[in-house]
Parts: sequence; C-alpha cells; structure tokens
Amino acid sequence: MEKQSDGDESEQVSESFICCVCLDLLYKPIVLACGHVSCFWCVHRSMNNQHESRCPICRHRYRHFPTICLMLHFLLLKMYPVAYKRRENQILGEEKELGVFSPNVGDLLCTSHAKKESKVLDAQAQSSTSSSNGKQLSTNLPSIRKREPCANMEQPEFIALVQNNSPTIPKQITAESFESTRIDGVKVNNLSQRSSSKICQHVSIVDVLCALCKQLLFRPAALNCGHVYCETCIIPADEAIKCQVCQSSHPSSFPKVCLALNNFLKEQFPEEYNARRGTVQLKQVNFQHESPPTCSTKKESLFNWWGGRGLKPHIGVGCDSCGMFPIIGDRYRCKDCKEAIGFDLCGDCYNTRSKLPGRFNQQHTSDHKLVLIKSPLQNIMLKLLNRQLEDGSPASYLSNETSENTLPFLMQSDNAQENTEHDMLAPSTSSDTEEPQNDDAPPPPPPP
Amino acid sequence: MAAINHHHQDTNTPVTANAISSSKQPPPSAKSVDTQSVHKRLQSELMALMMSGDSGISAFPEEENIFCWKGTITGSKDTVFEGTEYKLSLSFPNDYPFKPPKVKFETACFHPNVDLHGNICLDILQDKWSSAYDVRTILLSIQSLLGEPNTSSPLNTQAASLWNNQEEYRKMVEKLYKPTA
Repeated sequence: MEKQSDGDESEQVSESFICCVCLDLLYKPIVLACGHVSCFWCVHRSMNNQHESRCPICRHRYRHFPTICLMLHFLLLKMYPVAYKRRENQILGEEKELGVFSPNVGDLLCTSHAKKESKVLDAQAQSSTSSSNGKQLSTNLPSIRKREPCANMEQPEFIALVQNNSPTIPKQITAESFESTRIDGVKVNNLSQRSSSKICQHVSIVDVLCALCKQLLFRPAALNCGHVYCETCIIPADEAIKCQVCQSSHPSSFPKVCLALNNFLKEQFPEEYNARRGTVQLKQVNFQHESPPTCSTKKESLFNWWGGRGLKPHIGVGCDSCGMFPIIGDRYRCKDCKEAIGFDLCGDCYNTRSKLPGRFNQQHTSDHKLVLIKSPLQNIMLKLLNRQLEDGSPASYLSNETSENTLPFLMQSDNAQENTEHDMLAPSTSSDTEEPQNDDAPPPPPPP
Repeated sequence: MAAINHHHQDTNTPVTANAISSSKQPPPSAKSVDTQSVHKRLQSELMALMMSGDSGISAFPEEENIFCWKGTITGSKDTVFEGTEYKLSLSFPNDYPFKPPKVKFETACFHPNVDLHGNICLDILQDKWSSAYDVRTILLSIQSLLGEPNTSSPLNTQAASLWNNQEEYRKMVEKLYKPTA
C-alpha cells in the first residue's frame, strides 16, 4: 500500500516496510524476536500491561520491549526521506501532545540534503512509467504488462552492468534473478529505476552490514538491543546470547530472521546476496554437527520460577534498561526523573548498574536516586503481616474493606478479561508505588 | 518506563464532521492525538478494503462517522447460509487497533455463536485480538465462522443442537432470514 499524503507521492513504500499496526511507513522500527517489524509506539502500545506480550502478527510471546533497530531506521530514512520526515513530524506532534517521547536517535537527515534528494525523486517520478499503484498486483496487471517491454529493453544494459561490476558471478545467477524480476511487478519497478535513474545509490551495502562479520547481512536477525546480525553470526555462549556490539544480553530465545529485511536485501543486492549465500553455506557445513541454536536463557527460566511462586508483575511498568515489561520481581523507581513516563529498572539491571539511557528519552543521570518497590504481591503480604502484628487481630485483614481493595488486584489471572484489564489499570498504576491503595482504606473495625 | 494510559474509556466521540456540515465554523483543531491516529488508520483500512475487491464482504463508514461502520457479509457457497446476506455494525474504540471494535449482527442470524441480539462470540474479537487485525480480516473471520461454528460453547443453544442436521438447519435459516432493506 502506498501513502500519497503530504507530498511524498514520489516514494513508493515497499509493502515490507509498512507497519502492520498503523498501516503507514515504519517509524523508529523495532524488530521483535520473531522477526516481525513494527513502529516504536505501535509495539509499545500493543504490549500487554500485565502478562507477556504477543507479536501482533504471529502471536510469538515476548517479555522485553526491544530497542529501536537503528540500522533499519537509517535505511528507511535513506530510502524514503520525504515519507520518513513526514512520519517524524507526525509522531513528534503526537508525542508533544502526550508529553512522552521516543528515544532521540540523533539528528535525522539534514534539511538541505533531504531537499536535494526529494528533487531527485520528483524528477524520477516524472520520468518513470510507474503508476502510484504499482504494487497492487491484482488490480494493476495492465500497467505491469505495459512496463514489461521497458524492463526488457533495459535488460542487456543491466546484465552488462552486473558483469562489469562483478565478473566472478556466473551468468546463470543474473539470468535467474532477472527471471524473478519479470514475475514480480514490484521488482520490475525497482530494477527499472535502478538502471535508469540509479535509485540504488540511495542505499549501498554499507548501510546493511552485519554487526559482527561486517559483510552484507545474510538472513538478518535482530537482538533485543536492536543490533542486527547474520543469523549465522549469532552464536550463543554459555546458553545465553550477548550482543557483541553493546554487550547487553539478549533476554529471550534465539531471534528469528527478519523476513522483511531479508527480502529487501535479496531484491536490492541480488548478486551480492547470492555470493553471501555461497560462503555461508560452506560455513554451515562445518557447524552442522552442532546442536541447533535454540537456547532458553537463565532469565527466562527465572520468569517461570517467579511465575510458579505467584509473584505478580508491576502492572504497566517496564525496565528502562533491558526492556522487561511488565517488571517481575524487584523494581527500582527513579525519584528524580520528572518525565511522566518515569524511569524504572528491574532488579537485575539495577544490580548490574546498567548505564543505558531511558527508553523514552528521559533525562536520567547517575546522580538520581532509585527507590526499591517490591512486587505487588510481596507488598501486600508485608502490609498484611504488619497489620496483623500491629493490632493482633488476624481475622480483620480478611474482612471487607481491605480485601475489597487488594483482592481484585491480586486475582488478576491469566484469563483476565480484556475489558477489566483496562479498568484495573487506573488503580494499579497508582497502587504499585510505595503507597498501595489499601493504605487509604479505613482501618479494620475494632474487635467487639 | 510506564504504560501510557492516555486512552479514554468512554465510547466513541463522534467525529467533528457534523459540526462542519451544519455550520460555517472551522472544525475544532484540537482533536485528541489518539483519535487522529485512529482516524488515519481507519482511512487506510477503508482504502485497502475498497482496493482488495474481496467477494462476499464489504464495509463502509456510516454517514460521517468513521468510528462506526456498516458491513455486509454473504453466506459462503456450499454452506447452509448460501444466498443469504447479513448486515453488521462495527464500532471502533478510541484506542483501536489496540482494542478490538465491537461487532454485532444487525440482520438476525440463526447461528450457534450469535445470540438473539446479534452479539458474536468470536475469540479474535475478544481475548485473541491482535492489533494487526483489521476490518477485512474481521469480516472474513465472521464469514468463515458462519460455515464453521464452534458448537461446544454456543450462545444460541437451539442453533447448536440443530447444526448436525444440516437440512433442517437450512430450513431454519430460510425461515428466520429477514433481509434488511
């Protein structure tokens, strides 16, 4: 689907880079562990406040809010400067109104550069034969057929270009890749632009390198920290995956290949991608005897352990370092961060003194004080215990007021209805701070 | 970080279109953010739905309010619902697509998972909702639900018990079918 609004008609956004939630060009993209991509805010808002979240597309479970994939962010910015800028303005407007901000990922393209590129694109739009609906294959067959001769005319030129650039690649592959271009109208479009007006100059292989092997990504997969590797370059050590770039640990199972990006690489760099396939396959022969790289990390088993003991999550509160959402177990809240969204760390990240900035552009510094907030269950248990010790009437804490306030909160079970979930939010977000609701409840009636 | 709980619990606020048509005043510019993005998404959906050309389903916003749609589905071939057409209403919350729309049959539908008021029991409209679903997938799901009911947890027990007898069921469908104008 293409977006024509606000003067970015010239940029045909590929279907792969449309967010499945907002149905617009991905903005500050996040790659989930299942390989599906969505916008920063679309992922955040789709996440479940109380339980593990599920991918909107495949329902793959995840517990950590991943960091923005910067590589994809800059790639999209390069490919669709006008549309991306429009998205930036739109999201920034929404953020200002809500008073919460997504991470500042460095200055986007400088304006003069963007203008130049948009001029180039305008020229392309005028010269190219592509209709604005080029990707609606089912409805646009005639226009694709119309374009076909044009692509055929360019074919010899294209092959010559390939042969000049990479003489080592056998003719068979280029013929094969060309065969596919004629089947798919989208690719016809890409390639005709590529050879006629050199849209490929916008994106070069340097923009899509593996964080480890520094070659063109082959079957790319992203870690929770947002860094992208070839699938074969992610090697778990001691059952855990750690990012080689930022050293942060990947808290869930082995990430799946990001197909949107993979398909793009195949189309954009067919010959290089095929060359990579050759080398990686050789490499894989050596690895084959090893066990498949599926690992459940220690953190994941801890979740089960916690879950088994009935420890309840801090509903709607996530860790600003590892992204665990909601936080289970100890939670440390910053007393000094003024942002509405707050700044919180999970127990593990607090103990490892993580230096990562907040996920919502918070101005958190190391001078800020963090206070421990026990998980709601522990909290209530302690309260009950204290009360029992104070007035020595064990029966009273089970009576009306206190239990009314605390029990519904405790009994949030896995099959809690969606409707009640939202209602529960208001009390719970206020009660999971140091002053739980049951403080406000009238004291238990004195024994007769 | 904390969840941003900016979504209002109240039902759909009618879009400002009424004000525009009835008076010459400029439309209020301070529309809430979420309403704006929901608006945008629903418009994209409408476009996609009109381009897709699916047979047997259609939907369109009701008058000027893009938060309320009317949809139609036709019974699939080779089911007891073949040849019937049903109108549905879809009402979208302000935090759509993070919460599902409320979908109801407007035309009476004799079906194990549809009650007498037109309420539908379908998991994807409740706890199995995903923000990647849209009007098109909802309507297609309901269309396939017609032919493949879940008779183990029925809303209409009469329909559920009759389901095994397809011939009698078809008669019931024809008898109770009241197409709306």
